[in-house]
Formats: sequence, C-alpha cells, structure tokens
Amino acid sequence: MKLVDALKLIQSPAGEGSRNYTAFLACGFTPLHLQTFLAAHLRLRFPEIRVEIRAGLFGDLAGNLERLTPSEVDGVAVVVEWSDLDPRLGIRTLGGWRAADLADITGTAQAAAQRLQSSIEKAAREVTVSVSLPTLPLPPAFTSRPIERALPEAQLYRIVAQFAESLAGMSSIRLLNPQHLAMLSAPAERYDIKSDLMTGFPYTLSHASALAESLSGLIEPRPPMKALITDLDDTLWSGIVGEDGVEGISWDLDRHSQMHGVYQQFLASLAASGTLIGVASKNDGGTVARAFEARKLLLSKDDVFPFEVHWSAKSQSVARILSNWNIGAEAAVFIDDSPAEIAEVQAAHPELTCRLFPKHDPAAIWALLRDLRDLFGKSSLSLEDSLRLSSIRNAGKWRANSGMQESHSDDFLRTAEARILFEYGPGTGDRRAFELVNKTNQFNLNGRRYSESDWRHFFSEASSFLLSATYEDKYGGLGKISAMLGTRYVRSVQVHSWVMSCRAFSRRIEYQCLRYLFDETGVDEITFDFTATARNGPMQDFLKVFTDSLQTPVTLTKDTFCAQAPKLFHQIEVGVHA
Amino acid sequence: MPDRQERLVRCFAVVFPTLTEEEILTATAGSVGIWDSLSTVTLAALIQEEFACEIDPEVLANLDSFASFRDYLLASDSTVR
Repeated sequence: MKLVDALKLIQSPAGEGSRNYTAFLACGFTPLHLQTFLAAHLRLRFPEIRVEIRAGLFGDLAGNLERLTPSEVDGVAVVVEWSDLDPRLGIRTLGGWRAADLADITGTAQAAAQRLQSSIEKAAREVTVSVSLPTLPLPPAFTSRPIERALPEAQLYRIVAQFAESLAGMSSIRLLNPQHLAMLSAPAERYDIKSDLMTGFPYTLSHASALAESLSGLIEPRPPMKALITDLDDTLWSGIVGEDGVEGISWDLDRHSQMHGVYQQFLASLAASGTLIGVASKNDGGTVARAFEARKLLLSKDDVFPFEVHWSAKSQSVARILSNWNIGAEAAVFIDDSPAEIAEVQAAHPELTCRLFPKHDPAAIWALLRDLRDLFGKSSLSLEDSLRLSSIRNAGKWRANSGMQESHSDDFLRTAEARILFEYGPGTGDRRAFELVNKTNQFNLNGRRYSESDWRHFFSEASSFLLSATYEDKYGGLGKISAMLGTRYVRSVQVHSWVMSCRAFSRRIEYQCLRYLFDETGVDEITFDFTATARNGPMQDFLKVFTDSLQTPVTLTKDTFCAQAPKLFHQIEVGVHA
Repeated sequence: MPDRQERLVRCFAVVFPTLTEEEILTATAGSVGIWDSLSTVTLAALIQEEFACEIDPEVLANLDSFASFRDYLLASDSTVR
C-alpha cells in the first residue's frame, strides 16, 4: 500500500452504523507512518469500523505499556526494535560499542526484555496483544565481520528468541511470524537511516506498510474455515485409480509424486486439529474403498467423513457433504485438479472457496498449502477441535437410531443416557464459546457477532455471565454445543446472545438450558434480545413454543416455561469456566 | 501523466483535505493553521513516493509552502520523475 492510498483510506467516511475501534500502538520510535498504515490496513480489513490508533511517548516503549489502561482500547500492537532493548543498539544514542559496552548491552537487553514481557503479560489479561520483535538489522557494533555472527550478537538473538518463546505460549498474545514478514518485506529494504536520523522513524514506507498489514491480521484475525472437500485422482494421489489401479496410484519420490504425499500429510494435520475433511470424487466407490484399505495413505479413511464417490455432478456431492456437516458453503474450501469441476462447483455454490490443485507444479502446491494454512490456521486448539469429527459421526448415529425424527419420543430420549455439563459465570477465556457464538447461524437468537474486544468488554461488567452446555450420551459426546450470554438483574435475566450447534438439535438441550438458568439465577422472568434473521428459523420455532408473538424483546416467565416445556431426561453436572 | 504541479496539488490535498485547489497553490505553513512539523514530514514522504525522488533532510526545514516544494522539485529536475 502506498502512503497516499493509506491516507485517503483513513480519511474516507466509515459506513452508516459503523462502530469505533481503538488500538494502541506501543513502540519506542516515532510512530509516524506506521500509525497511518496500521489504521489503513485495519480499515481495509474491516470497512465497517472507524479506527483510532493511539500511541505513547517517544523512546519509552516499556513505560508506554506500563501506563496503558487496557480496558480503554480494543487491541494493542507492540512493536519492539533493538533500540528498545538497549538504546545503544540504535543510532540516535551514542553510548559506545567497545567490547566492554557490548557485554553491558547484552545485560541490559536481557533486563529490558523481561520488563517488556511483564508489561505485555499484564496488558494481555484484559486485551489481545499483538507483538512484533526486532525487524531491523543490528548495527555494525560487533568486532567480527558482518558475515560472521559474534558472541554478543548471538546472545542478543538468544534473548529475543527466549522472549518470543515466552510470549508464544500465552493466550491473548499473538506473535508476528518473522518468516511471514520477510515474504512481504525484504530485510535489506527495511531500514531508512535518513528518516531515523531526521524524524526518529526508522522504517522505509514499504516496510511500514508490510509490518502494519501483518499486525492488522494479528489484531483482529478472521475466523478459520471449518471444512475442506477434496478430490482424489491427481489431487490426493497421483494417477487415476479407476485406470491405473489401486497399486498404480502414488505419492512418493520415486514416481515424482511426493507433493501428493505432502498434501495428504497436510490434510491429516488439518483433520487432527478439528477441520472436517470430506471427499468428492467421480469414481467407483468400491475401487476407492480398496485404495484406502490396501494403500497406506497419510490421510486415513477415519480422518474423512463423508465420502461422496460416484459419477454424479460434483456440485451435488458438495451439497450433500455440506448438508451432512450442517455448515454453510462460506465456511468450506473445495479442492480439485480440474478447472472444469471447479467452475461447475463454484457456479452452484458461489460462497464456497474453491482452489485448483496444481498437480504438476510443486512450487504452486507449496503456495497452495501456505494459502490453506492461512485459511484454516488457529492460534490454539481446543478440546472441541479434537471432538468435532466424532461429534458429527455421533450425531449421525443418533439420527439413525431415532429414525430421523425431528422430535423424539420420551422413550427414546429417556434411554439415551444424556448428560449435560453446565458452566455458569464470567466467560472471558472460553474460546470455544466465543467460536460458537461467532459461527452458529441456525439456533441463534439474533445473529450478533463479537470481536475479541467486544467479548472482553462484555464480561467486564460484574453482572454479565456466560452459560455454556457440554453434551454427551450413550452414542458419544458432542462437546460444548451451547453458549448463552446474558446479564443478571434482581428479578430477571436478559439474554443478549444464545447459540446452539445444529448437531445438538432434537435432544431438548435448549429446554434444559432455560430450566437451569431459571434454577441457577432464581429469577421469575427471562427476556431475550431476539431478532429474526434469514437463517435462524430453528430459534424462531423454539421461541414460538412459548409465545405467539416474536416481538423484540421476547419475554418468558418461569410459569409459562414450566407449563410448556416437555419432559426432560438429562443428567445435570455443574462446573465453572476454565 | 498529469503535470507535475497537478501531482503536487494532489499530495497536498491528501495532507490538507479541507483546502481547495486555489488555497493549496498559495498555501504556506503560516497561512494553514494545521500545518505542523508532522505535516511537513508526511508531505515529504508523499512527494518522495509520488515523484520517486529523495528530499535532502537539510532542505526540509525550509520547505514551508506549496511554492517552495514546487521550486525544490523544479531545481531537482534531473532526478525527479
């Protein structure tokens, strides 16, 4: 992005109903163009927000962080350069580069890193903090030639590496990957020495833009994709299994098809981290089944659900897979080596993200895997990530055993041995509930989404609560499937958001949630901030059990609930949010 | 390609969006209330980007009007695109 474009972008008016977003840029140098680019890149990512970037005092990064009141901002970006660890590592301070000075510099750098770590940790208790560690070259301060790394230089890199390792292990802290930045901004083209001397701003414009772009992606990341649908022939493996035979397909170095193995390995990694993997292939089902049985693929058949293997149009296969998963096309990626198949599927599912598998181009496959990691990447994995596939399979077993009925008989529900774990209280750190609220569409009170800062601000009120439900029955566990955000008053509760995974439908869990809420809070009345959306029909149907009018807010008294609710058979357990 | 003065006016318009073109042509640090040192640095960065040139830091303090920027670019004619 050019500076002129950045300035124009931040001067353009935000849309109607736009919300404010305040970020704090903590750096030790003059923030100047980095501040401009950060505002512009945030605006580019979120056109609906009005961005304000606050900054602190020149030359006092640690002090700026220590003076910060995290609750006043929505996000924090910390940009550390060598001169923040010791001013003698910059050129605006002339403190000496003798051997004795260098030994002292490593000592002060260690102490400065610890001080910064402590202030970053403190801020991260209340707000998400994105951190960039030194991006500029060290000065020619060391006794060795530039081609050789001297001991004090190695010690400085160790200090930064330890600093990075400590930060990377903490929730609410996102560390900028220097490899990613290097792809956007060549290290040799980052430092503007004239600007550093003249204004105290050390970056070239191109580096400032690249760094701001990367930080904006860390500050408010988009939600990861949920699912991937892959082709088989010349995609998951090299060759056409129907023509070459089960033994004729390959993914190895000897047959120059190693990148298909790398792709399998990548998909297995996605599956293990909770991404749903489905197969859509025009093939003979028996042949494909034999291939998965007889050949040792890195992606096992247990990692995949469902398989759509037949000769029908792929768009139909994709529709069936999405229906099985019960997710929208906008949350899934389709991969095929045929441009014609991609076009056919994309025409039928415009919201689906489609990618061509470049079968004869290892570099392009490598780029595809990076692209996919960007689409599916998560800061951390939750228990639900490991349960997702089994949860969907268990939902299938439930449907099979209940005869696919929408509403089940008391007898069936009584024998299901259902258990619900309720967790009630402040839910700031509940990532799974945060994800649920931000991706569930059908059983959703009003479609409201929360940024990370919205979420934290909501729970900063003492009367705010999260009620979550984790479900299990004899067919298996579904994990945490419901999240309700509310405010407790003396005589009533106001529910601002409530979602439940569609996998949990037909088990009367939603009724049990309300019963538990009445019992836990002791109130006589619950009001719901209900809004009809294009996709929340299941929520509308549920509320209509209790009221004929869905005027906002919908109010439900305990008496009405007790009179209308069906029999409930769940065994209840109670816990607290982690 | 628009002429040099027109491109310079555009750079000024981004930094001082409330000024008309006529006001920009006669703008000085004294006459434009919001023109501060940050504006000068931002203007210099924009002009360097737009004209693919480098402004001598020694000269920057003297660039305090539209006319002075225009004259500086004219004087640096051989290096300015």
